[in-house]
Order: sequence, then C-alpha cells, then structure tokens
Amino acid sequence: MVMQGDRGRCCRGTGAIQGPHGDAGGLGQVLGLLRWQWQEVQVPCLVAAWILVASLAKIVFHLSRKVTSIVPESCLLILLGLGLGGIVLAVAKKAEYQLEPNMFFLFLLPPIVLDSGYFMPSRLFFDNIGAILTYAVVGTLWNSFATGVALWGLHRAGLMDPGVKAGLMDFLLFGSLISAVDPVAVLAVFEEVHVNETLFIIVFGESLLNDAVTVVLYKVFNSFVELGPAHIHATDYVKGVVSFFLVSLGGTAVGLLFAFLLALITRFTKRVRIIEPLFVFLLAYVAYLAAEMVSLSSILAVTFCGICCKKYVEANISQKSRTTVKYTMKTLASSSETIIFMFLGISAVDTSKWAWDTTLVLGTLLFILLFRAVGVVLQTCVLNRFRLIPLDRIDQVVMSYGGLRGAVAFALVILLDGAKVKAKDYFVATTIVVVFFTVIVQGLTIKPLVTWLKVKRSDHHKPTLNEELHEHAFDHILAAVEDIVGHHGYHYWRDKWEQFDKKYLSQLLMRKSAYRLRDEIWDVYYKLNIRDAISFVDQGGHVLSAAKLALPSMPSRTSMSESSVTNLLRESGSGACLDLQVIDTVRSRRDKEDAVMHHVLRGSLYKPRRRYKASYSRHFISPDKQERQDKEIFRQNMKRRLETFKSTKHNVCSSKSKARLKEKGRKKATHRVPHPPTIPPYLAAAPVLVMVSSDEEESNSSETEREDDEGIVFIARATDEVLQGKKTPGSLDVCPSPCIIPPSPTLAEKELPWKGDQADLAVYVSSETTKIVPVDMQKAWNQSISSLESIASPPGIETGPQHKRFTCPVLEEQPQSASQVTPEQRSCFQFPSHVSKSSRSQSDSSPDGTEQQELQPLMAAEEPNRIVPSTEPRWLIQFNRASHL
Amino acid sequence: MGNKQTIFTPDLSFYCRLFYRYRDLAPQLVPLDYTDKPDVTLPYELIGSMPELKDNPFRQRIAEVFSEDGEGNMTLDDFLDMFSVLSEMAPRDLKAYYAFKIYDFNNDDYICKSDLEKTVNKLTRNELTPEEVSLACDKVIDEADLDNDGKLSLEDFQHMIIRAPDFLSTFHIRI
Repeated sequence: MVMQGDRGRCCRGTGAIQGPHGDAGGLGQVLGLLRWQWQEVQVPCLVAAWILVASLAKIVFHLSRKVTSIVPESCLLILLGLGLGGIVLAVAKKAEYQLEPNMFFLFLLPPIVLDSGYFMPSRLFFDNIGAILTYAVVGTLWNSFATGVALWGLHRAGLMDPGVKAGLMDFLLFGSLISAVDPVAVLAVFEEVHVNETLFIIVFGESLLNDAVTVVLYKVFNSFVELGPAHIHATDYVKGVVSFFLVSLGGTAVGLLFAFLLALITRFTKRVRIIEPLFVFLLAYVAYLAAEMVSLSSILAVTFCGICCKKYVEANISQKSRTTVKYTMKTLASSSETIIFMFLGISAVDTSKWAWDTTLVLGTLLFILLFRAVGVVLQTCVLNRFRLIPLDRIDQVVMSYGGLRGAVAFALVILLDGAKVKAKDYFVATTIVVVFFTVIVQGLTIKPLVTWLKVKRSDHHKPTLNEELHEHAFDHILAAVEDIVGHHGYHYWRDKWEQFDKKYLSQLLMRKSAYRLRDEIWDVYYKLNIRDAISFVDQGGHVLSAAKLALPSMPSRTSMSESSVTNLLRESGSGACLDLQVIDTVRSRRDKEDAVMHHVLRGSLYKPRRRYKASYSRHFISPDKQERQDKEIFRQNMKRRLETFKSTKHNVCSSKSKARLKEKGRKKATHRVPHPPTIPPYLAAAPVLVMVSSDEEESNSSETEREDDEGIVFIARATDEVLQGKKTPGSLDVCPSPCIIPPSPTLAEKELPWKGDQADLAVYVSSETTKIVPVDMQKAWNQSISSLESIASPPGIETGPQHKRFTCPVLEEQPQSASQVTPEQRSCFQFPSHVSKSSRSQSDSSPDGTEQQELQPLMAAEEPNRIVPSTEPRWLIQFNRASHL
Repeated sequence: MGNKQTIFTPDLSFYCRLFYRYRDLAPQLVPLDYTDKPDVTLPYELIGSMPELKDNPFRQRIAEVFSEDGEGNMTLDDFLDMFSVLSEMAPRDLKAYYAFKIYDFNNDDYICKSDLEKTVNKLTRNELTPEEVSLACDKVIDEADLDNDGKLSLEDFQHMIIRAPDFLSTFHIRI
C-alpha cells in the first residue's frame, strides 16, 4: 500500500514536469490535453520512489532517539525492507524488486567506497597497513578455505540434505563469497559503536582491502566450477595466484593513476571553480569503472584513489568546493547504504530463490564465527610480535565479532550461475541468513558487548597543536635514530616518502599558492583557532552580536558553519572521522572576506582566554602577537588613514607630545630594567594600537569626524609609545568607539596588565571556591610563582602610578587637540586607580588564579558573561559619557 | 649508563648488531675489541654527515642529547643508551624526559618560546614567517603551560603527554 501510494505521488510529480512535452506531442495527433506516459518514466520514477521511501524511513527511525541508540540503522532498514517486500509480495503475488548485482556493483557500491576512501584517516591507515593487509589477505584466505572445506566435510559426512548437490569446488566458491567482511555493513555498525580508532581502522581497512582476495577467489573458483573438477590443471592454480597479485596491484595502480590525474586536473581549475567537485566524483567513478572493466579490484581502485588524491585535491580546490564534495559524498554514500540495506530486506522475501537446509545454514554460521575468531587470534599472535601497540584480547574479541557480512556477499551469490552451480538456491538462502544474522544479531549486540568489555572507545579529545607538533617532531627523531642505526624500518620509509612528496609530488600536483598553505602545523593552528572561535560564538555568541561587528553576516555564517560541523560529526560519527578533517571551515587568507571573518572571530575568541591567562601572568605576550597579525589584514587601511592624518593640522601636536613621551619612555625603560620579561611584549604591542584605531574608524563611519581628531592624538602617541610601552593610560582612548569590543580588552589589559587582570580575580576567586581544583601538584607551583611574583612585582606596581604622574601632564598639555580628549583622559585615570585598589586587595590571592587555567573549560561558560561585559562595556559607557561632557 | 641497559632483555645479537652498526660509522676509530673499555668517541661530524640524515632536522639535536658531553660526540655507551630509551620497555617517564630534552635546545630545563620556535622552524623547514611561528608557539605554550610561566617545564610536558595516552607509545623503535 505504501509502495503504491508513493509510486502514485511520484508519478504525479514527474507528470507535472513533463506536462508541456506531453501537450506538444498531443497537439500533433489528437487534441488530447493529457496523456498517460507511465511507460516512459517508469524506471526513473521507481528509483526515485524507492529512494524517497528509504529516506522517509530514515526520518521516521530518527524520530525516536531511544530506538536508534539501541538498534543500528542498518537493522531497521533491513526490517523495513522485509516489511515492504512482504507487502509487495502480497499485492503483486510475486517478488518484483530485489537487489540486482549489476545495480549494486555499478551504482550503489562506488559512492560508499569512495566516501570511505576519501575520508579515510590516511595516517592511521598507513600506520596500521601491515595489520590491515594481513587480516585482509591472510585472514580472508584462511576464512574462505577453512569454511569451504569444513562445509564440504559436513556434506561428505552426510549431514546435509541430499538436495544440496555440491562438490568441494562449490563449497570453496561459497566459502570465498561468504567469508569476506563487508565494508558497508562494518561501516554502518561500527560508526555507531565508536570503538577506538585503531580497532576501527583495522576492521574497516580489512573490509575494504579484502575485496581483491574475494574477487580473485570468487572468479577462480567460479571458473573452476564451470570447468568442472576434471579439467582443472596445475597451471590453473598458478594462474589463480598470479591473478591475485594482478587484480590487487592492478586495482591499486588504477586508483593511483586516477588519483594523480585528479590532483593534476584540480590544479588547473582555478577559473572554473564551480565544476571542481564534479571532477572528484567523475574521476573516482571512472577509476572504479576502469578497474571493473579490466576485472581488477574496483574497490581497491576507488579506495586508493580517494586516499591518495585527498591531500592534493583538498589543497587545490576552493573552500566551497571542499564543502560541496564533503556533503555530496556523504549524501551519496548514506543514501546508497540506505538503499542497499532496504533492498537486502526486500530481496529476502523472494521465496522462489530459497532452498533451506538447516545443516548448511547452521554449519555456515558456526564456521564463519569460529574460523574468524581462530584466524584473528592466530594472526594477532604473529602481528603482535611486530606491532608497537599490541592488540589485546578485548580488541581481538571485537575484531572477531565485528566481522560482518553484507551486501557484497549477497550480490555475489545472486550472480552465481544456477545452471553451473547446482546448489545456488541453498547458497542464496544461507547467504541471506548469514547476512541477516551478522547485521541484525551481531549489529545489535556489539554495542552492549563493547560496553561490557570496556573496549577503549574513541575519545573525542580535541586535537591540540602540541600533539601535531610533537607528532611531527617524533617522526623526525625516530627517523633519525633509525638512520643512525641503519635500520630501514617504518619511520625510515615514511621519512623518505615525505621527502619525496615534498620535493616532487606536492610541487607537481599543488598550486603554488596552496603549496605554501599546506604546512601542517600552521594548518592545525588555524583549525584550532577556528574551532575555538566557533565554540566561543556558540556559547557566548551574544557578546559577539552585541559588539555589532563590522561584518553583519558574520554571526549567521559562523552559526551555519557550526551546525554543519556538528552535523557532519554526527553523520560520520566514527572515531575515524577526526575533528581536523571536518572543521576546516576557513582557509587562511584565501580571500579577503575569509581573512576579515577570521580576524573578527579571533578577536572575540581570545577575550576569555586572554582574560584568564593574563589574570595571573605578568609575562603575558600572546594578545599583542595576535593583534600584530591583524596588522597584515589592515595594513592597507592604516596606511591610508595615516596619510590623511599626517596632512591634518594636528601634526604639530602629535610631534610635540611625541617628543615628550619619548623622553618619558626612556625613563620608563630604565625603570623597567630590573624586570626584563615584561618589556618585549609591551614594546611589541605598541604598533598594534595604531592598527586598532584605524580598524575601528573604518568600521563606524558615523563617528569618523570626531574620531579623526582623537585618532590623530592617539596615533601620534601610539607611535612613540613604542618606546614607552602601553602603560600610559592615555592609550585607553581607543575605547570611545562602541564598536571595538574585541580590541579594547587588550588595550586595557596591556595598559596595566597585572592590575587589570587582578581586578577580574574577584570573579575568579569567588567562582573558584565553589569548584574543586583537580590538580594538586599545581599547589607547589603556585606557591613558587607567587613568591616569584611578590619579588618581581614591586617595580611593576610602582611603574603604574609613575606612569600616571608622567603622562598626566603630557596629555593635559594638549590644548590643540580636540576638546573631548581631556575628559577622556580623566576617565581613563579613573579606571586604573579603581582597578589598582582592587588589585592591591587581591594581590595575595593572585596565585590562586594560576589554577584557573585548569578550570578553564568549566569557566568557559561563565567567563564571557562575567568578564567581558563587566569590563569592557562598563568602560565604554564611561568613556562615551566622558566624551559627551 | 650501565644500569640502564638492564632494562633490555639480554639479547646479545641485538647488542652485536648495534655494536657493528656503531663500528660501521667509523671503522678506523672503533676497535673490535672492547674488553678493556677503550675511550672511543665518534665525533658529531661523522654522524651528521651520514647521507640518510642530511635532510633530518633533528640530527644534531639527537646526537647532542644522547651524547654524554652534550656536543654530539657519541661513545658506544651513548649509542646504546639511545636505544634503551627508545626501547619498548623503557619507562614512560624516561621517554618523556628525553623527548623533553630534545626540545630543550638551550638546556635550561624549560621549553621556552625560543626552543619551540626552533622546533617549529626545523619542522617546517623555515617556510613559515616569523610571525606565524611565533603565533603557533604561543598557542603551543598556551595549551600545555599549566603554571603559566610562559614556558614548559618537564611537569607541563609530562602532564600533556599523559593526557594523550597513545602519545609516547609511538616513541618506540623496533630493531
């Protein structure tokens, strides 16, 4: 019923589209207004209807979180397929639809394999390539031969129905198709289980790479069966072995060739960005078809095409194309998977193909479980001798149990020639039972099993720059040590490959501009920044929007990218889908908009971090560095502004104050000699001030006039404050503009780093009393640091008031400058004094702030709310009021 | 020196291979007979000039860290030490200590920013601008610096490594 309803709806849809055409045709013959054209649209309409049904079913499944958290989606789809098949059978009296092997191999399988290859974490994959290959080749060979021979033994023992007419070759053929672990099923189930990455990649990699073995065994045994046992010669066995190498290596070679082509093509698509994603899909599909055409392993071809092209393609294509590729691939793979499982269910209803034999079914189930377990244990024994991180018992249990069979086996068994393989019907029935058993029973139980065995799950810890850095460094160190000892191990070869890649391949396959950007450490730095920014916007977005940033589209854009990120994470929730690969939202300096967006994001991002960090560190250097980078972005702007300023009348004033301040600055410098670490940041910070001012002026043109005046004064000072550092309270007059929330905290902090930060300590301390401090070992550090700070701080604290004393007269001696400047200065002075009071009172509690960093994740939600609004907006209000006086 | 080697399984062929490799570096310097403990050191120039190592950014640093004199001149003991540190049975703390030492270019027992900048520059083969390097280093310190002194102490480093469980497990060499 459901089927027909859908079919009808679909027809109506297509009918409407084809309406004009039908009318035109009708006009020629008889003046019919409408014509029934079901025959013409039948096939695509049915396809669309099935996809629609499957997708709607998916929606229904996910309405209830409880169901999907217990039952894997694949099980539900199979059950749905069974139901739909039953309905079709009841209505049409014959089983109409089933999984056609051709459709499966040509259309449904490639997207899944491409998706898994393209998003394969290549480092993890190649780190474990030895284990993966062993399980894929040796394991599959062992499984198929053992299963085939054991079943044959059962048959010989007379335990099977006499209707099963099969010899050794038939059973070996059956063993070859039933023993291969299926990538679709493994992916569908393991994605929801979240075992650790190593375990996942070994099982999944095995399921992908065993294709070559399966294909060869299947073809060889199939031809043996067709030839008949009497006609097999010794050379045929040799040919079988040779064809294995041919099929696997050939498939890989085809994949590599197309990966190379693909990377090369994307290098030149700069002007036709819009078709970039097309190349990815097209060439990968052509690789699949090419391999299939010459009967090589097509799965291997697509997998390696995906793995190898990714690095270069991702670097070459534009950000939007990257997103498109990602989404299209996920959509295609997901819908293929859905259809495969649903059709598996539907196909099972067709009883005309069934021939049940209990012994065969039970024997097969028992043997595939048993031999897989035995094979895994034996191979792991051997592999653990060579592995750095041995696979323990629990891993082995999961690996044995996770050997799911799926649609590949089913498609292969349907492909058998019933005339040659007499027992085909029995094999089909057995295969269906095995597939259903593994997907439904094992799929259902593997999650509780994993929980019960306490298998190490994939911890979604955030990737850190440290890890990236040390990973690279360790690689080099280990490669060096291997070189010294003259041992050509894994690190040696990887090092060699990386050098080769860097010297030749990347040069050849990447755009010049992209090549520079591909530096991994910098990449990770950027991605981390973006991720932090996104999470910040996520939790404290109102601060950002309150800031009314220069880019009005910003908040919506970030929220969109955020949602896409979480969606993707959910979709490909396997541990293998690392955060890094998902969240490459913004490329650095690709175009100007991205740059601005990045700047804005980071401006808001670093507020809380800066806060907590600066709250107890006087050696605080990062914010000015970050702003120094902003300089690049706004350099043009600044230059233009500076030109206009120089031409104004205030030149005199600025030069005057400059000279004076320089003098003071020199004094300050001498003052601060006993405390060297603080100097460089302040010195470095000064130019930033200029940038900020220009930025701010650009952002709000309404206040341009007034701010021009202020800007001049301010810039003049800013330049000479290179010497003096940021301690002059006068520098605070950047704040008047209401739209510069991001830069203002830096200025305030830089101005009086210890004081400004300790003012926030009131918040910290209060919140900290309620939190349990997790790291006891920090106590010692805190004490030592507090003692250090108490020693080091006196000169620093003294410099603050001195500043006021020095700068006060200077600033007041600016009669030429705009009238509102002076009140502002006063307001600025108010601020430090009130801050300094609090700082004095809190100075003894400052070491406690050290632990704040430990609490940072906990504090993250509070910090933006408490600190950012409490500090900056208040100041802003003050300043504004002052400026209007 | 000597007691560290006891963490090895007494696999003599392994030592033999290491010794021959060591001797291969400079057959004219290293005698075959080590019974009377001759005082032989391989100058760094020999190790640094190995063709396989010419692209490796850490060659000098490794030699310096593992050599007793800190100049990169290695004795056989140093050579063996290096492998005992990188063996699977070496305790995690020892590995962390040596990894830390490799990063600590100026030997002040802290990984400070200049050390990190050196590391990053070596890793990226000087392809990043100084500003980018500096930004990345700030981030690295920011991530791992628990006591917030702007540099990483051994404790910071160990803490960071314990947080990532698989981290040191890759710091092995199988011979």
